Amino acid sequence: MNQNEIPNIDELLNGFLDGELDARHQTEVQRLIKNDEKIAQRLLELQKCKRLVSSLPYTRAPQELLSNIKASLEGKKLTTPPVPPMQRHREREGARHLLLRRLTAAAAMIALAGVLAAVIYWVIAPVPAVEKPVAVDLRLQPIAPQPKDSQPAALSGVVETKSEVVATAEKPAEPALAETKFTGRLELKTTSPAEVAAFINKAIEYNIPSGERYAAAPGKLGESHTLVCSRQNLRVLLDELSTVWDKIDSAVLLVNTDQPQGQIVIDAVTPEQISEIAKQDDFQTQIKTAKFFAAMNNMTTLSPGKEVQVAIDNSTPALITIPKPVLTSSEKPVTTAGAAKEEQQVLLTIVVTR
Amino acid sequence: MTKAANISIDDAVLVQQCRQGDSVAAETLIRKYQNRIYNAIFRICANPDDAAELTQDTFVKVIENIDKFEGRSSFYTWAFRIGVNLTLNYCQRNVKLGLKSLDAEDNDDDNEDKGVLKKFLTDVNLPDPAVVAQNRELCRLAVKALMKLDDTQRAVVVLRDIEGMNYAQIAEVLDIELGTVRSRLSRARANLREIMERMF
Repeated sequence: MNQNEIPNIDELLNGFLDGELDARHQTEVQRLIKNDEKIAQRLLELQKCKRLVSSLPYTRAPQELLSNIKASLEGKKLTTPPVPPMQRHREREGARHLLLRRLTAAAAMIALAGVLAAVIYWVIAPVPAVEKPVAVDLRLQPIAPQPKDSQPAALSGVVETKSEVVATAEKPAEPALAETKFTGRLELKTTSPAEVAAFINKAIEYNIPSGERYAAAPGKLGESHTLVCSRQNLRVLLDELSTVWDKIDSAVLLVNTDQPQGQIVIDAVTPEQISEIAKQDDFQTQIKTAKFFAAMNNMTTLSPGKEVQVAIDNSTPALITIPKPVLTSSEKPVTTAGAAKEEQQVLLTIVVTR
Repeated sequence: MTKAANISIDDAVLVQQCRQGDSVAAETLIRKYQNRIYNAIFRICANPDDAAELTQDTFVKVIENIDKFEGRSSFYTWAFRIGVNLTLNYCQRNVKLGLKSLDAEDNDDDNEDKGVLKKFLTDVNLPDPAVVAQNRELCRLAVKALMKLDDTQRAVVVLRDIEGMNYAQIAEVLDIELGTVRSRLSRARANLREIMERMF
């Protein structure tokens, strides 16, 4: 017992009386009693109280208590013959089994809750945005599956490769996307569609070999031209079209992506931008470039004074001119893979509407 | 050596046998502790009939719950714990119902009582316990004073001074801290002394 546990002298004296003090406190109490008459008197009084209570006569239980207890126990069927140890063991096994079942049930509930939570998360979790720039609407549009018959009537036609696909003016073969590096649809709106359509027809006639263009009735409003041509021919055609671009009120390019549910929509597209997208060797790079132009044109369109247009125009990849190396010797230029790439085919459908 | 120390070491064996449904072992345990538990309960509730009934309930509960006895304490303190709890609950119930023993409500100004207690407390010499025990009148007054204590204080005094338990056993029976036993016993004895003084 330490000093903190004895807050007053009475507790100390009672502990002394009851023999519950350690040696140090006992000595202390003895010293107090010896030196202080009041404390000695107090101890004596406490001792008398204790003696008085402890000297009370011992009262024995009534004789009939045992029989009453037995009767009560028998009444509750607790004094039945001893339970066989095997039965007791089985009861304990049963209790353990029950506990195990409860634990298993709890574990199953937790697992079920986990699966449910995963399903809910899968349903409500937002799909991560794919390279979506701030304040830019890429306007991915679903491609409605087009029946073969729904190709633009007389003017349409598609040739994949000359050796594999036979094109007819009436019912063109469907181009295979996987083999064409770029597939898109250019929708032009103009107030003078006849003039523009005639110009486009002529430009196609002059610049695209007849085997690569498919138009049954050129010049008609709302009809489309589908071209599966080389990138080089497309670039030449687009250069030609840029001369009439000032008469185009709206030029929208829809670039097909590898995602089956979407297209990239580029508003206010320019021939240079189309050419830049088409010339990208890698399909993913084409998509990236298309997205970039979509974002840029969108931002330019949305800016009130179009002040940034000039700045953006100056930084577009299309206009970044990388100086070509100049041959300084008489060495003839070696034909590289670039020439072959120029021959890679692209698919573009041009539609003119009012 | 206190009464509490005189506990047979065979309790554990008897408990084990009792758990296995041995009614003889159960009877042995009852016989062994019935008087002590009855006496303590009687000193707390001060009514022999109630004490008998409470003791009976105590042993029925002990035998019913013998499987729950984990052996962390001794069977003796465990059984006392059940008995004292039942008794204190009974006392609380009676206080609420106003059924406290009429003996405890006797008039304190009884001249005869004053004389006996005065003689006892003013005697400088310590009285011989045997002499005190023989003085029936003094015992009656002591019981009367004891019954004026609070139930929990009376329980701690009974367990210490009548049953002879040490502080640790009292703490176990009443499920309180050792320090609480010390302070509660100190207050109980101080109150008892004041009650006796008022009875002069």
